[in-house]
Amino acid sequence: MDTNQYIPYQVRIADIIDEAPLVRTYKLEFTDPSANFTFKAGQFAEYGVFGEGESTFCIASSPTREGYIECTFRSSGRVTKALSNCEINDIIGLRGPFGKPFPIEEWYGKDIVFITGGIGLPPLRCVIWNVLDQREKFGKVSIYYGARTVADLVYKEELENWKNRPDVDLFLTVDPGGETKDWKDNVGFVPTIIEQNLPSSKNAIAIVAGPPILIKMSMPILAKCGFANDKIFTTLENRMKCGVGKCGHCTVGKTYVCKDGPVFTYEEVLQMPQEY
Amino acid sequence: MELKLISSSDIAVFVDGLLKAGKVVVAPVLKQSGKVFFKPVQSFAEVATDYIQTAFSAKEVVFPKVEELFTYQHNEEGGLDIKDHLDRIPETVVWGLRPCDAAGFDYLNKFFLQENPDAYFKARYDKTTLVTMSCNKCDASCFCTSVDSHPGDTKGSDILLTAMDDKFYVEVMTEKGNILINSNSALFTSTDTLSKEAFLAKPLTHFSMDEIKDKIQNAYASVEWKQASMGCFSCGACAFACPTCTCFDIQDEGTQDHGKRVRCWDACGLSQFTKHSSGHNPRNTQTERRRQRLMHKFKYSVENLGVVSCVGCGRCIRVCPSHLNIFENIQSVTK
Repeated sequence: MDTNQYIPYQVRIADIIDEAPLVRTYKLEFTDPSANFTFKAGQFAEYGVFGEGESTFCIASSPTREGYIECTFRSSGRVTKALSNCEINDIIGLRGPFGKPFPIEEWYGKDIVFITGGIGLPPLRCVIWNVLDQREKFGKVSIYYGARTVADLVYKEELENWKNRPDVDLFLTVDPGGETKDWKDNVGFVPTIIEQNLPSSKNAIAIVAGPPILIKMSMPILAKCGFANDKIFTTLENRMKCGVGKCGHCTVGKTYVCKDGPVFTYEEVLQMPQEY
Repeated sequence: MELKLISSSDIAVFVDGLLKAGKVVVAPVLKQSGKVFFKPVQSFAEVATDYIQTAFSAKEVVFPKVEELFTYQHNEEGGLDIKDHLDRIPETVVWGLRPCDAAGFDYLNKFFLQENPDAYFKARYDKTTLVTMSCNKCDASCFCTSVDSHPGDTKGSDILLTAMDDKFYVEVMTEKGNILINSNSALFTSTDTLSKEAFLAKPLTHFSMDEIKDKIQNAYASVEWKQASMGCFSCGACAFACPTCTCFDIQDEGTQDHGKRVRCWDACGLSQFTKHSSGHNPRNTQTERRRQRLMHKFKYSVENLGVVSCVGCGRCIRVCPSHLNIFENIQSVTK
């Protein structure tokens, strides 16, 4: 036995970006230059504040951007509150990468449709940049993203960037009542916006992440567009502690979200008991 | 497999010899409450010999209730010194566990080491020798014969002792067992195979495992889960007493500058176990949580590791304040 999966790396907070109310992005650099940390899009990590504990979220930066990783989280529980009180240059713990990534290589040559809402964008942002950094390998790229209000949209600068790129179709929306006076994009729930545009399922992959209600409401529309269940991917987020298939918290039936997922096709999700 | 005999009067000499050689001996000890618990002993005189089953299993030896994962201490370079202390784990002999508990170790071994091996479990397991004692009596909660085991089962044991009048029949199953016997080989004599049958308890067989394995495939939707979970207080006692329950929580104890990270037993029956910080709870009712516990033991374990993760020790039945009964429940949901 040479590996102890419970000993964390130490990472330094190199930059902090306030994305939205209670939502922050940390840019993290490894204090040990020999750490040799590599990961794939869709994998997650355990981020720890010593004395408070660990919290689970995806790695939000793309593996194509080397030398650092980024995570985006909402302050909601004990650990994420402690994490959001950290400052630049603080050292936090990091364990990972864990879990099964998105099979991006299998998507070469295909159209990619991203569908997400609110704090569901960070797990997909990793994939989006992974795809855009090798843009020539993919067909049409469209992104459907919405939030409750304009303030709740995360990665605002990147959304501008995607909007201005001729090789990306960005459909941005806020829930009715969440718009500001100078809001020029859509108003309406994400599934409504998908239905208005009906993305083609021909030679295409759909990736859906976000609040359960968004996933639930989007699936019938994707079916209407002709997406087969094994062409729709999602990432599940159950409570986790260990990240390596032992602590039992994330299980859905016989499936451990941490090691068998978190990336699943919708077909796989339909085989599971609804315990996620 | 080596077969030996040892006279009953030499047992104390053997155990005290292990202690003298510096081993930690964890054995059943009778507490004032009248219950028997596994505890490290200083002499064989402390060891209980007349008991059906200990209140808790011996799994604590390889999977402690609270286990330090590492300590951390702020250092001068502005980082932290993080250290595990796996090198401090002593050579340990578990004495007098029952065959069901040893079968539990067999399961734990598969669970912790088959995939993503767990460094802490491995370090402890490698230093542990299991000396099991066949059962000569049982009670109404015992059901090992329903789950592919029996009161003289050697599964998981390094050594199995069976009391036969004034002597013990010694089945040495592993190299670890051999090493222990060889530490005082003068106490043992070789023997041919003896029949243990007359010296073993006769627990009731409550159900056929083959039938359960088959019928549990469709048990998820059974309406009986509600009845099977009624009265459950969500106290988690069943999981803590269980020799095969492995769920744990990870917590920090200390400040940002120094302290330790520990893992401690958790239970899928506790209401917070799956609760997200958003408030969403994937298994929101006690019925769903009770179902998870039993489906894991009888279905999911079989699918993931090829074995049922219930050894029929009956502790969850004895300990339950609400008298929930696993062998009644598993039969009702697979009717």
